[in-house]
Amino acid sequence: MRLGHVIGRVTLSHQDPAYRGGRFLLVQPFAAPQFAGAPMTPLAPGSSLVVYDNLGATHGHVIGFTEGAEAAVPFTQPTPVDAFNAAIIDQIFYTPPSA
Amino acid sequence: MILARVDGVIVSSVCHPSMAGCRTVICQPIDEAGRPEGPPILALDPLSAGQHQHVLISTDGSKTREYVQDPRSPLRNLILALVDEPARETA
Repeated sequence: MRLGHVIGRVTLSHQDPAYRGGRFLLVQPFAAPQFAGAPMTPLAPGSSLVVYDNLGATHGHVIGFTEGAEAAVPFTQPTPVDAFNAAIIDQIFYTPPSA
Repeated sequence: MILARVDGVIVSSVCHPSMAGCRTVICQPIDEAGRPEGPPILALDPLSAGQHQHVLISTDGSKTREYVQDPRSPLRNLILALVDEPARETA
């Protein structure tokens, strides 16, 4: 599972019926500075991605999302999903060793 | 499996039900010399690893689903072992 900032939303006009009940978020994955509390902008390096969400995360939230085959597991029928929002993060306690 | 170091914890009240009730830690993947490799990832922690403890993380979703007893769980990373000390084979 990786963390990411929600930086936007993706609205679909036509979609696979299996997607009903959720939305798509545009997410910028965390790099190390973001764990230490760096703000959302400037955005972390790396490409952002679209995450399926049925927990109701919105702009500015930090979410924990899973990728790969596990992202399609929660659906009852086979669904083309690459990233699934598993948690909206309230607090991060990050203390790497100083050495 | 990934060798990693536990560097923190996250708190999440709104999450997938399979994740609720289990500690989720921030793990920094490291190489055998302890140098970080890539950004930190999150893992479920049934063994309550200590801070900066070296652990082994499984990335096999099926075993994680078995552990949380939820066949619909999207989780994947699970701490399987706490590393006491790396044993190096002298070449």
